Amino acid sequence: MGAILALMIVGYIVWKNEFSWPASLTWDELPRKLDDAQEWLLEQRTEGSNPFFAVLDGFRAFADWLVTALLNGLEWLTWVGTLAAGTLIVLRFGGWRAALVVFGAFVSFALLGLWEESMQTLALMTAAVLLSLLAGVPVGIVAGRNERFYRAITPILDAMQIVPAFAYLMPVVIVFSVGPAAAVICTLIYAIPPAVRITALGIRGVTAESVEASQALGATSWQTLFKVQLPLARRQLLLALNQTIMFALSLVVIAGLIGGRGLGDVVTNGLYSNPALAVLAGVAIVIMAIALDRATAAIADRTDPARRQLTDEGRRRARNITFGTLGLIALIVLAARALGADAIYPDEFETSATVYDANIQDTVLGWINDALEYIQDPASFIFGITDPVGNFILERMLQPVQNLLMDTPWFLVLGCLTAIAYVLSGQRPAVTAFLMLAAIGIMGVWEPAMDTASQVLVATAIAVVIGIAVGIWAAESPRVEKVLRPILDTLQTLPQLVYIIPFIYLMPVSLVPGVVASVLYAIPVVIRLVTAGIRSVPPAPVEAAQAFGASRRQVLAKVKVPLARDSIMLGVNQGIIMVLSVVVIGGLVGSGALGDMVARGLQRNEFGQGVVASLAILALGIALDRVTQGQRPARTATSRGPLFGGLARRRRQVQPGGGAV
Amino acid sequence: MKTHRHLWAVVAALMLALFVAACGEEKDDSGDGGSASSGGKDCGKVVLNEQAWAGSTANTYIAKNVLEENLGCEVEITKITEIPVFQAMADGKVDAVLEDWQHTDQYAQYIDKAGTVVQGGPLGVKGHIGWFIPKYLMDEHPEFKTWEGLKGKEDLFKTPESGDQGMFLGGDPSYVQKDKQLIEALGLNFKFVTAGAEPAQVARWSQAYKQKKPIIFYWYTPQYLNQEYDLAEVKLPPRTEANKDCKDDAKEGGDPEQYKCEYDVTIINKLFSKKFADSGSPAYDVLKKMKLTNEDQELVAKAIAGDKEDPDDAGADWVKENKDKVDQWLQ
Repeated sequence: MGAILALMIVGYIVWKNEFSWPASLTWDELPRKLDDAQEWLLEQRTEGSNPFFAVLDGFRAFADWLVTALLNGLEWLTWVGTLAAGTLIVLRFGGWRAALVVFGAFVSFALLGLWEESMQTLALMTAAVLLSLLAGVPVGIVAGRNERFYRAITPILDAMQIVPAFAYLMPVVIVFSVGPAAAVICTLIYAIPPAVRITALGIRGVTAESVEASQALGATSWQTLFKVQLPLARRQLLLALNQTIMFALSLVVIAGLIGGRGLGDVVTNGLYSNPALAVLAGVAIVIMAIALDRATAAIADRTDPARRQLTDEGRRRARNITFGTLGLIALIVLAARALGADAIYPDEFETSATVYDANIQDTVLGWINDALEYIQDPASFIFGITDPVGNFILERMLQPVQNLLMDTPWFLVLGCLTAIAYVLSGQRPAVTAFLMLAAIGIMGVWEPAMDTASQVLVATAIAVVIGIAVGIWAAESPRVEKVLRPILDTLQTLPQLVYIIPFIYLMPVSLVPGVVASVLYAIPVVIRLVTAGIRSVPPAPVEAAQAFGASRRQVLAKVKVPLARDSIMLGVNQGIIMVLSVVVIGGLVGSGALGDMVARGLQRNEFGQGVVASLAILALGIALDRVTQGQRPARTATSRGPLFGGLARRRRQVQPGGGAV
Repeated sequence: MKTHRHLWAVVAALMLALFVAACGEEKDDSGDGGSASSGGKDCGKVVLNEQAWAGSTANTYIAKNVLEENLGCEVEITKITEIPVFQAMADGKVDAVLEDWQHTDQYAQYIDKAGTVVQGGPLGVKGHIGWFIPKYLMDEHPEFKTWEGLKGKEDLFKTPESGDQGMFLGGDPSYVQKDKQLIEALGLNFKFVTAGAEPAQVARWSQAYKQKKPIIFYWYTPQYLNQEYDLAEVKLPPRTEANKDCKDDAKEGGDPEQYKCEYDVTIINKLFSKKFADSGSPAYDVLKKMKLTNEDQELVAKAIAGDKEDPDDAGADWVKENKDKVDQWLQ
């Protein structure tokens, strides 16, 4: 390792800037060909004679109808009815804690003055999640039962998750126009992979004994599936639902760009003319994510047949409570309608004498604005700290790594990265890393890709150092973990564009806000993986060490951390992937390089260039994944899949509230 | 058991009631819709697209007020981003965009070739792009009035990220620009730095402004922030007969020399969906005649984005105070 790095540094000093990627090794036709393809698509669509589009039009009409119908349904219930229905259903199936969270969420949408937008987002998400599951679960079942099929679709799933939505927004709009349908499609592309992966994982998780037993009893393949595999994979299937919701929610902002309306709309437009409002909408998205997460997790938990052995009498009672709940909801809806409750929570209440504000939006906006004012003040106390920190990150971390990767001869960088992959991870990963890096060069984006790579490496390094420290702390102290949980939930679900705003003011150097955003996004994953890893260290070695009189610190450093090494390495690896997935956001706040190219692809109609940059991000992701995947024990069949191999596994611990398990 | 059966019956009855209520409601809705549209000249629904920046919010809400108050139209506002909105117009999902900054690629595709979008003529607002510095800096260094004055003084604009060079803060990467090429062609020792999307860029230069630091950046008018910050422009080489082929959009690449001149005035266009233009809607005639000046737009934009006024109120206020202008659109 040391020798390889030394070689790179020597190469940097001797041949600085002398060998950039040769033009003769570049194939630069690709962007133009892609542009032509988009134009062809547009022509086909305009002529309207291609029967293929009739099918797509049918889907578009259906998706539009579904979202509109859901929204109309919510409005028909009136806001009182929606509030009651949501809370009572969760109360019935998920228990009072979850119901309280859901109730609180609805109340905050109302009080924040974002009821209508929240319902639009809720309708869009519901439709997208339904369709994702409809497509994802069957594919996941097949993948779970057929190893070769799973291996064949894995690269596609990887690409769907890591290629930024910005890259395919325009073709989607050309085919599906703007509006709910296009927003649903973009969300599907991102939310189907976790549904497939987790379903497959669940099906595979069913022990071979159970399957063999059912086959021995003469069950057909279908019977085995429906009577044994699916019921036994129940928890995983519900986790798939939970994760599909979370992934779908993270595309709300993108959906806002193409007529998806709702909270995403408020975020993107607020950024320009009313940042405080963008922050407020971001908060509403977080609230919705946490409520949906807690509700689905609680429902999954409470309705688990393995946990409640019901007698006939008990079952009848449960059914009656269900009907009672439905009746109560119907009663409330009817009463609300009879009393003239509004479809949407009103902005003001009128009594005969006065008009009251029905929400506290203005007050909250005032607070946010005060906070933003404070942050924008270069004489503030906090700026005195953040400004030098930003400069330090730039001058001592970003610029050196950037120089090393960008100015060292290309063949040395390529060779050394491959060698590092070989040393750390073995032969096959090294070959893959080499091919991916070569592909980047051939596509003609070597330089921006190295620029992006340097930012990714610095961001990952920061995230890993902080994440491991905090993760260990949280593993040792339940109180710390309790305090951290909502913070980590927020960091993972708040749109990055929202929390990046303060840092643009606090660290006014172009490259730094992007790095900070990636660190904040990646840190929860690292913390949760490290905490889970240390927690899962078996008690025996710990007790043995204690018996020999080891201090707490010694136990931690000599026993727990070494034994949790695999999870910690997985944390590093996943940290990189998380950082890569915010590269485009970085492009919007001055990180330049690949992220900027992707964003411009949409905004300046440079479609081909944007797609190429996205492919480079994908290739970079795979290469860095291989370099850092380490000598992990050969991945088990259940978690195979290059990029997101660990995803399903880690997601269980990672997403808000730790999902179901 | 008896009580249970009782409960069942109640639930069933309630569900039935709910169902009946739902059916009744639908009929009510259609009745309402019919009576509302029967009065007066039929304008129906008009969909305007608001872009992300405050100036667009301003003209969109002015138009909304005029159409609603004078023609009884039902105005819906969408917020679709710049390029995809062309497809939205082609599909008739958006009727009008009131502020388009010359997306010539899309004009070729959607207006000239497919004919699904039509030109609506200039809005009257004229876009101007250039290099700006804070007024306090201009007072201190009057030589910065033209670009020649910058020569040799670039290191005044040094920042940690520009190394030995001065820093030039570029505009939103999605906007038309050629500053990298200009810097090269003019032989200035600037490092071109991008801060990303406009809100991020504004954050950067306004921060420097508050600290009274020197900064030079890409900026434009009309922009409501020009009413909040005192900025001055650095003159770039003028456009003359000799360089009339000078280009503004460096996206096309090539020799930097061909970009060596000031930015041309950008005529801001209104665009309509072909379907809307052919629909005979009275709203089309009004929007076609609609005209605003830079001052009109900046004033309303400042009220909305600067003073956080409700866009509907800000639009209505302007319409009230500019009756003569609005009357011309309504003729």
